[in-house]
Amino acid sequence: MDNLFLPRVARIAAVRDETPDTKTFDLVLRDGGERRDFTFVPGQFMELSVFGIGEAAFCFASSPTRAECIQTTVRRTGLLTDAMHKLAAGDEVGLRGPCGNGFDVAAATGKDLLFIGGGIGLPPLRGLIWNVLDERDRFDKVTILYGARTPADLVYKGELDEWARRGDVELHVTVDRGEAGWTGNVGMVPTLFDRTELRPATTLAYVCGPPVMIKFVVQDLLMRGFSPDSVISTLERMMQCGVGKCNHCCIGHRYVCRDGPVFTYRQIREMTE
Amino acid sequence: MQVSSARTIGKERTGEWIGRLIENAEVVAPTAAQAGDVIFRKISSPVEVQWGSDNPLFPPKQVVLPQTDPLVTISRGADGLVVEPVYDERPRVLFGVHSCDVKGIDFLTRMHAYDLADTAYLRRAAALTSVSVACITPCPLGFCICCDAGPFLAESFDVQLTDLGDRFLAEVGSEKGGRLVEPSADLFRTAEAGEVARRHELEEAAKRAFGPETCHFASAMRRVSVGRVSAELWDEIAGTCLECGACNFVCPTCYCFSVKDQGRDGHWVRCRTWDSCQFRAFTREASGHNPREAHRERVKRRFFHKVSAQYFRRDGAVGCVGCGRCVKVCLGTSDMPAVVAAIRKGAWHG
Amino acid sequence: MDPVLTTCPFCPCGCGFYLHSQDGKTAGVIPSEGHPVSHGRLCARGWGSHEAPAWGDRLTEPLMRHDGRLRPVSWETALEAAADSLVATRRAGRTIGVLGSARATNEENYLAVRLARGALQTPHVVSCLTATYQPLLDGLHDVTGRHAGSGTVADLEHCEVIILVEGDVAVTHPQVAGAIVRARKAGCRLVTIGAVASQMTSLAALSIASTPGRERAVTFALVAAALAGGRLDTATIVAAGASFDALRRSLAEAEVSEAVARAAGWYAQAQRAAIVVAPLVADAAELRRLAGDLATLAAATGHLDRDGSPLLILPARGNLRGACEVGASPNFLPGFTPLSDDGAGSRLEGVWGVPPVRETGLDAAQMLTAARGVVIVAEDPTAVMPAGALAREALRRMECVVLLDAFATPALELATVVLPIASFAENDGTVTGLDGRVRQVRAAVRPPGKARPGWAVLAAMLGRLGPATEYHGAEEVRREIARAMPPDIGARWREVDEARVVPRAERNGGRRPSLGPLAPCEPIEPAPSVAVWDGVLDWGSDPLVRYSPTLCRDSAAQRKLFPGGFVELSKEAMDRLGVRQGWPVRLKSAGGEAVAPAVMRADLAAGVVVVPFAFRDALAPVMGGHGVTSVAVERA
Repeated sequence: MDNLFLPRVARIAAVRDETPDTKTFDLVLRDGGERRDFTFVPGQFMELSVFGIGEAAFCFASSPTRAECIQTTVRRTGLLTDAMHKLAAGDEVGLRGPCGNGFDVAAATGKDLLFIGGGIGLPPLRGLIWNVLDERDRFDKVTILYGARTPADLVYKGELDEWARRGDVELHVTVDRGEAGWTGNVGMVPTLFDRTELRPATTLAYVCGPPVMIKFVVQDLLMRGFSPDSVISTLERMMQCGVGKCNHCCIGHRYVCRDGPVFTYRQIREMTE
Repeated sequence: MQVSSARTIGKERTGEWIGRLIENAEVVAPTAAQAGDVIFRKISSPVEVQWGSDNPLFPPKQVVLPQTDPLVTISRGADGLVVEPVYDERPRVLFGVHSCDVKGIDFLTRMHAYDLADTAYLRRAAALTSVSVACITPCPLGFCICCDAGPFLAESFDVQLTDLGDRFLAEVGSEKGGRLVEPSADLFRTAEAGEVARRHELEEAAKRAFGPETCHFASAMRRVSVGRVSAELWDEIAGTCLECGACNFVCPTCYCFSVKDQGRDGHWVRCRTWDSCQFRAFTREASGHNPREAHRERVKRRFFHKVSAQYFRRDGAVGCVGCGRCVKVCLGTSDMPAVVAAIRKGAWHG
Repeated sequence: MDPVLTTCPFCPCGCGFYLHSQDGKTAGVIPSEGHPVSHGRLCARGWGSHEAPAWGDRLTEPLMRHDGRLRPVSWETALEAAADSLVATRRAGRTIGVLGSARATNEENYLAVRLARGALQTPHVVSCLTATYQPLLDGLHDVTGRHAGSGTVADLEHCEVIILVEGDVAVTHPQVAGAIVRARKAGCRLVTIGAVASQMTSLAALSIASTPGRERAVTFALVAAALAGGRLDTATIVAAGASFDALRRSLAEAEVSEAVARAAGWYAQAQRAAIVVAPLVADAAELRRLAGDLATLAAATGHLDRDGSPLLILPARGNLRGACEVGASPNFLPGFTPLSDDGAGSRLEGVWGVPPVRETGLDAAQMLTAARGVVIVAEDPTAVMPAGALAREALRRMECVVLLDAFATPALELATVVLPIASFAENDGTVTGLDGRVRQVRAAVRPPGKARPGWAVLAAMLGRLGPATEYHGAEEVRREIARAMPPDIGARWREVDEARVVPRAERNGGRRPSLGPLAPCEPIEPAPSVAVWDGVLDWGSDPLVRYSPTLCRDSAAQRKLFPGGFVELSKEAMDRLGVRQGWPVRLKSAGGEAVAPAVMRADLAAGVVVVPFAFRDALAPVMGGHGVTSVAVERA
């Protein structure tokens, strides 16, 4: 049996700036055997350590269909993420995981998929999006709606262009506040609903972003006829062990690190406490 | 219990038995400390055992879950980080514990085996055998009978001793327990029918002796499970709680923890450290958002975890063994029996 | 021998527990059920006290500043440099001083006093927190003749009435709050007096709101109400004679509200009643008069020397009472002995080998400003002094700063010589609790690296400056303290008996309280708002909290969310100003102005603005190092 607390060692292969306070890290497990055997599902998360500073949960931002490296996108919010932002290619970190339940990719087969992301909510969706795009035939219509506060705050700018150019994806991007040079949509994410044809009966909607955004988007989706079982989101809680033991992330008797972080809206609504 | 499986050992030979146990394992027993205290500690001689003392305030869960528990060592080697797990598989005997604490450790072991198994915990627990002494007189503040955790145990024990005056009746409840008794079979003899009958008599008398210190979990469970306890009541209970965390620390079935790295400059030890859901910071996220900022939310959380049907189903038991420690240790007046009574009556008298 | 019984280092309740260690580091805490103060109960800080010594940034070798940087040196070199630089500074005609600490043991504070008034021949020896506590003791002394309250925390549990002047005792002294909670369950009526609502306010049978810094308006009125109510202690009144009439006359202008009258009535009629004063933000003169009011109230109603009726003044931190009692004070020799006491002077000369300097010393703020050389024992003046930024400037200007500490604090950047000492977990010695009992601290592990016990380092410094003194252990220092103290309290120092309560005879010196006129209560000038610190101490910057992963989280989160600080306003005030959570507000006083984010605090009176002590420097232009200031608040 593996030791639940024993991290693997991962080397940083590359670091890319996404926004003024967000970077994407490409990680490669140092041990060849671990590299081969490591699997994960989009929507799961990993516990990354900068030893001596701490350890925290970060979602997988890459798809298991692209095994060259594991990616995560980190916003600078405190001591640990500050320390991570100072790391460069070649530096080592600890990695535990995969943790959590992940998205049910099989259940999405044959459905229309609607991805709705806000700001730093796109990274957990990105893994699933690339998984879907890499196996495009399994799924019906794919729509991506994404918004951020300003153009500078959009993550994966290059990939947004790539998705925009693809014929098999419908992409709409918006910003809350425009800037000189921005020619795209201006307005909050729910304003994008009118730019696309929604098919509630056949669609699974994946919503990730700031709690306020999720609240308004989900309200809107339900009003437009989506069932609470077809609206899927992720929950965040303070975590320590990430493996269902330390009890920090409990909501009622559910453990966000084990029963989540992916939940349907019905499950979220039924949570006591 | 089969008559043939029970044995007796004269009290004058118990010391020799313990002496033999000390040769093969770390024996932890109640010992006398300064200030008139009795605490669980490793002994080097049978005379250190404090027999018949009240249950020590600090629970023996520290033996399977130390307050600071090293899990992993990390160091910088020539070729990068070197990461090693820490395992503590020293054979140990927990001698002279009460029934409630045996049940408590059993509960903790189930929690750490459930779902993803915590191998570090399980290896340590696997190397631990307990010799408990059944309680003939209920503890002044105890209510183990409400939690199926005493005064005598029918299962979940390794070796259960009953004090018959000048001798102990010993029941072996597990293979591990058998391995403590068999090698010293020369010190024991088969129990007589009369001795077994006496053990049952003592159990019945002990159960009858429980006075008003009972705890009506069922009605509290009903209300807590469906959120039918008012915010005002939780507020009142929180009003007399001083957020010291002691209830969690001394509770035999509490095991909340944080994980932190101790050390610096190229050598660290990742440790599990005891934590308390009563601390405001327990659920605070890096952004500063705290889903349980209000004190009443945390008090509510504690009792949901301990007493709800949802957790009862998940864990197979209420999160309480009725040891009464939280009553003794509460810096305010918000202990388990008081809160359960308040939930049942809908009013707080703390 | 593991685990080791010791006394909690945080607050002066003096709870007892065992420190458990693993691999030479402290790893856990086991409460002592039999302990006369704590009975097995501890607060969150007590439970977490094992963490900082093991996890913290420890000072492990002597350091000297050279070319702007601190570099490791040998103990010999460091001690020599410390002694030489202090002597040189003094010889150049500049002021030098010694700062004792509420974070240091009695032995360390006593040797600091001996270092100052004996070896260095300077009268300036005080702790940074002395000014928050000594004035209250002086007020008690004015009435009772002793610098002490009476009774114990345990007495609180059996009281019928408790008058609590606070503060936020659930945060500052949880064991006291616990006793009050349990007393209340048994039927005790709690009366709270304070400007800012706290957990105790919500439990009170009667809560009397006061203006920040002017709690005295209420205590003065309580005395008037008690005298008017008639349930007085005849013997005390008769013995007071004419001064009792003077007392009555001085109370003529008191404004007695219905609530005050009720509280005074409850107190006077109870058989067992308590007065508890938590650390207050007020100036020294106010504090002295407030304590005088309360001592008069207790004396006039017969509670002052009644067993079961405690009068507890709560020092802000750990060993503050001990520090003051062994002489870390500008105005006293060890044992609260007046400087003018020739007998004490000879006694100390006999013990020290040199006559002590018996001039009045400077208080901590004055000393930091005037001195060019200082010895700091286990303290960070920048975090503890009311004007922290000024303390930093003052230390920067000094020629020599000799710092003894176990932990790295911001004071490290200002030190010229650093002497690493043991933390409470590695030290033998005593501390004095709020009830005057002397308690044992015992080393559970060895100090890390080259750190040594603080008392041994101070003894070594003494040895370089005068006749060599060999102490073969902390107990020898304690026995010297016994010889240095006045004989009637020296007994308490010779043998440490933690269960023995300070005898009443020692408390009152065998004399009756002297009732006399109370100073008039100045009218409170109306102000649009009053800004007040949330206390006299910021636990977050204390190394025992800061370096504990479990305990530091709340204050670390506050500092992270509001790096420049914040102020707390009532919902009413924020609505009126049109600001939401986190929006900036401007505070203006006669002294200046400052802008800070506003955070809503429930149950706060509309005219009160709370400034966390941790962020007082950001608001210094408005408050100028004072804990209470009239302000106008506007949206920024």
